[in-house]
Amino acid sequence: MKTSYRRKQATSNVLAHILLVIISIIWLFPFVGLVLTSFRSFDPKVEYGGMVDYLIPKTFSLDNYRFLFSGQTNFLRWYLNTIIIAVFVSLFQTIVVLCVSYALSRMRFVGRTFLMRFWLILGMFPGFLTMICLYFLLKQFGLTQAGAVPGLILVAVASSGMGYYVCKGYFDTIPKALDEAARIDGATRARVFFTMTIPMSKPIIIYTALVAFMAPWCDYVFASYVAFGHDESYNVAVAMTRWVWTNDYQAYFTRFCAGGILVAVPVTILFMCLQKYYVEGVTGGAVKG
Amino acid sequence: MGDRVKNTFAPIGFAVTKGDWKTKISLVILGFGQLLRGQIIKGLSFLLIEIGFIVYLVSFGAKYFAKLGTLGTVATQKVGRKTVYGDNSFLILLFGILTLFVIAAFLLVWYLNIKDNMEAEELLKKGKQLPSNKAVFASLFDKHFDKTLLALPVTGIFVFTVLPILFMICVAFTNYDKNHQAPTNLFTWVGFDNFNRLLSFGSSGIGRTFVQVLAWTLVWALFATFIDYFLGLAVAMLINKKGVRCKQLWRTILVLTIAVPQFVSLLYIMKFFANDGLLNGYLLKWGVISSPIQFWVNPTLARITIIVVNIWIGIPYMMLIATGLLMNIPEDLYESARIDGANGWQMFRSITLPYILFITGPFLLTQFTNNLNNFNVIYLLTQGKPQSMSLKENAGSTDLLVTWLYKMTVNDTNYCMAAVIGIMVFIVTAVVSLVVYNSLPSVKDEEGFQ
Amino acid sequence: MKKKILASILAATMVLGLTACGASGADAAANTAADTAADSAEAAAEPADTASDAGADAAAEAVDYGTGEIKVWVADAVVDFTKSQIDTFISNNPQFAGYTVTVEAVGEGDAAGNMITDVQGGADIYAFAQDQIARLVSAGALETVNPEFEADVKANNDAGSIAAATVGGQLYAYPLTSDNGYFLYYDKSVVTDPSSLEKILADCEAAGKNFYMEINSGWYQTAFFFATGCDLSYETDDQGNFTKANVSYASDAGVVALRKMIELNGSKAFQNGSAAGEATNVAAIVDGTWDSSTVKDLFGDNYACAKLPTFEGSDGKTYQLSGFGGFKLLGVKPQDDEMKLEVCDAIANYLAGGDVQLARYNEVGWGPSNLSAQGSAEVKADEALSALGQQLAFTVPQGQYPGDYWGLATSLGDSVRNGEISASSSDSDLMSVLQEFQDTCVGYAQ
Repeated sequence: MKTSYRRKQATSNVLAHILLVIISIIWLFPFVGLVLTSFRSFDPKVEYGGMVDYLIPKTFSLDNYRFLFSGQTNFLRWYLNTIIIAVFVSLFQTIVVLCVSYALSRMRFVGRTFLMRFWLILGMFPGFLTMICLYFLLKQFGLTQAGAVPGLILVAVASSGMGYYVCKGYFDTIPKALDEAARIDGATRARVFFTMTIPMSKPIIIYTALVAFMAPWCDYVFASYVAFGHDESYNVAVAMTRWVWTNDYQAYFTRFCAGGILVAVPVTILFMCLQKYYVEGVTGGAVKG
Repeated sequence: MGDRVKNTFAPIGFAVTKGDWKTKISLVILGFGQLLRGQIIKGLSFLLIEIGFIVYLVSFGAKYFAKLGTLGTVATQKVGRKTVYGDNSFLILLFGILTLFVIAAFLLVWYLNIKDNMEAEELLKKGKQLPSNKAVFASLFDKHFDKTLLALPVTGIFVFTVLPILFMICVAFTNYDKNHQAPTNLFTWVGFDNFNRLLSFGSSGIGRTFVQVLAWTLVWALFATFIDYFLGLAVAMLINKKGVRCKQLWRTILVLTIAVPQFVSLLYIMKFFANDGLLNGYLLKWGVISSPIQFWVNPTLARITIIVVNIWIGIPYMMLIATGLLMNIPEDLYESARIDGANGWQMFRSITLPYILFITGPFLLTQFTNNLNNFNVIYLLTQGKPQSMSLKENAGSTDLLVTWLYKMTVNDTNYCMAAVIGIMVFIVTAVVSLVVYNSLPSVKDEEGFQ
Repeated sequence: MKKKILASILAATMVLGLTACGASGADAAANTAADTAADSAEAAAEPADTASDAGADAAAEAVDYGTGEIKVWVADAVVDFTKSQIDTFISNNPQFAGYTVTVEAVGEGDAAGNMITDVQGGADIYAFAQDQIARLVSAGALETVNPEFEADVKANNDAGSIAAATVGGQLYAYPLTSDNGYFLYYDKSVVTDPSSLEKILADCEAAGKNFYMEINSGWYQTAFFFATGCDLSYETDDQGNFTKANVSYASDAGVVALRKMIELNGSKAFQNGSAAGEATNVAAIVDGTWDSSTVKDLFGDNYACAKLPTFEGSDGKTYQLSGFGGFKLLGVKPQDDEMKLEVCDAIANYLAGGDVQLARYNEVGWGPSNLSAQGSAEVKADEALSALGQQLAFTVPQGQYPGDYWGLATSLGDSVRNGEISASSSDSDLMSVLQEFQDTCVGYAQ
């Protein structure tokens, strides 16, 4: 009886591991493909650089990476732009979200429910709808083309207050009694916010900042609108999707893959380091809605 | 109700009839009463707002506002070889709406000013003291800390979300398209023409196309949400299973798809499944197939492929969430079920699933609405293609309403039609959310969480 | 009191922010609108002014062109080339030295789209493919060619390119290249006889290699329809509006063409595409000169090119694949500053001149539209260009097409590719599809 149970357990464990290995292979395959392709040279003397129907390059070379760093394109500039956007958006967005969440979670004021409902409704409009309008608004402020980087930061930060759900949910779980005690001791709301709530919210701050940091790396739609043909203001996504979609760039696929790896590596490392907080935030958000 | 209206208008009546001269002058010069009563901060803010309002209106707002009815009449013309631009319908509409709001906001400020005067007068009459300037300022960090916290976010959302959305809603009622493009050409109001076109099923209308795109949008959102949900749950349970080693490793591998920017991974996958891509290439080479599988070309196959690729994107999220939740289920529930002789499937059905479903209801709803608008997966993989002669306005078989909207905006500059589609997306999202949200068990008592 | 401070901060930020920005472009645009009358009066007076100014300091005979910035959009491949050419031009013409010229990489496809989205934010001089010209004219994104240069431009470029740059009766752009057509590149070791489509496909199938042609593009698709004698052309007025459509796709000839597309799509060697760099396992590809260097890398020693093949129609007759002969053009956008317009015209005229076209050919291999550049020895010796030249006899010079046509043609091509219409469809089914296509095409012209 016992041995058969154990044997059953053992077989099911083996099966589970086999299944997990298969899943892992499927999940990792595109990344392996990306890495392999990024090592195929585009120099016809070494190897043909267009699309091919084999996976493993005949010769491994660093030509694509060399190309990206050589200054033949503005790749480093694009990369820097993306980092600047990501850092500032992450910083300001976190501040805005914390402010909004605290106000909505801790304070009761006229129009509070209206504000929350109204924002919820606003969120149901598709973002792409307003692109053209935002473009011309930014243009009024001189924040397109050469000014696209601050423009993108402004737009991302300006509307970030609507993304308070997860953070407010977290604040709701911090007992109100703590606040009340401090307030009886004479602390102002601001003091409570800065010296009590914020220090207690490290996980949610990291989660908010992380999510905000990752979004700009994939913005190829609005960013291309705002940069409007100004090469130096592109971010990596705008610049590199051209390599795949536009016929002006023939045989750039290997370079696209190399650029993709360079984009993916730091973001992935950061994500992996902060994964714990991400899980906490996502789970909290899912439960709170 | 009647009382409320009465109370709302009471300050105005008071100021006009019973108020002292300070209050009466405040009807015209905002903040006057406050300044004379020594409330410098309040008084100055009111006064500055009025000055700002007048400057705005005279130097900027009025000329746009005046043309809001026609959206401009002066056409662009040539003088010699020079181009002299006429009215810019776009800016007239945009700043006309803005001016409307500025006026409304000013009226509100004006009202608050009157009310404040009245309250101050009453306080003084009762022999009490008005709050000092310092106290007013300090209250911004205590009693009125919410105003301080929310001022900038609310302004930002107004300028960069509310205003553009209202603008685009208005555009749906104009003929702003490629033939009526500012600054060279004027556009104007056309009433419900665009809506009629979208919902007309004759040969010139695009009703049939709209219905088909809408249907696929809903089907897609349903599949994408629920398949990912249950598969994610399954994978989470698989990893959580007792006896599975390196749990963290498996999770990390799956989570890679969240970390790597989608434009990199999805464009690679798009090429991978192409007719002349790697997968077909190898299958042909190995002789498994004799002609390429039309992953992105055949409409049905393209839809299936997208849903399958989306599993790759979607499972990890659900896996992460489910992992946390599964650990919260008390182990003794399973123990007692096992003693009662329940097998794995029965335990899943009667313990795990109800618990997870109950607690992740709101998450499912958000996922569903997100998937209705899941631009990246569709656009990076197929750009909505394949198109077909049976679909109008360049819609494709895998187009969601949002990708269709995007293509109308960017490729065809058909802004008025795109705006109509945008409104439709809103209606669909709102209806779905409303219906589902009200039937969720766990959302009714917000304060209950605290 | 409660709402006051929130409201005051809110309103103050709004008012300050917008009055501040009011000083910029929006305001200026509105002002110009209001002051049109005054402006035109001024404009009338201006030439007189400049004339008297010039008279005053007659010693400095040059006109003062003022200063400013000029933005140029060209494809990435010629950014450096264009930069150096403009530098040369400005240093030879110091009267233009007040202008700073920036050259940005915006491909021909994106350039037109961007110009239409925001004319004022777009480039002053930009290159585009001719199929966009009517759209650009009607959106007010193209200025007519300076009358000073018009005669020269017309005399020095081939007739097709001039027709392509003309909308209504007006010349709107400077022809840049005359190579925007397509022909066949093939691998000598696989394709034995490039003159017949059936043989090419048979060779490809036998070798397990691919034949590429982008049948869901309105540009390549016409190769079939024009081959069987179908017509598709539009007439435009001076403003770029389409006034009349001549379409005869819904005919027996159209059905023959469509059947051939369906048959081609059914071949296991067929792949839809026209970008050599994106193609795999290629034995033959219908593509243009812009890809010649990529194709050379692809085929190596087996590189060869030829005119498009003939095909045997379902009616038993043999047809020669036709198609568009197209052109790349350089446009100048309308300006509200006459002096700047003059400078832009001068630069565009120079960039589209014979010498620069030849230099551009030597740099990136783009086939010139300039007659003397076409006559030069190096251009004549070019293999790809000579294949294009042979194909030219069978092509239709591309006129003006409404933007919607291209999307519609993609729909037709996709309907073939996804099997919605297939070899088993009856002639009447095909005819009804073509009829719908034709009706929609006609509907684009009012």
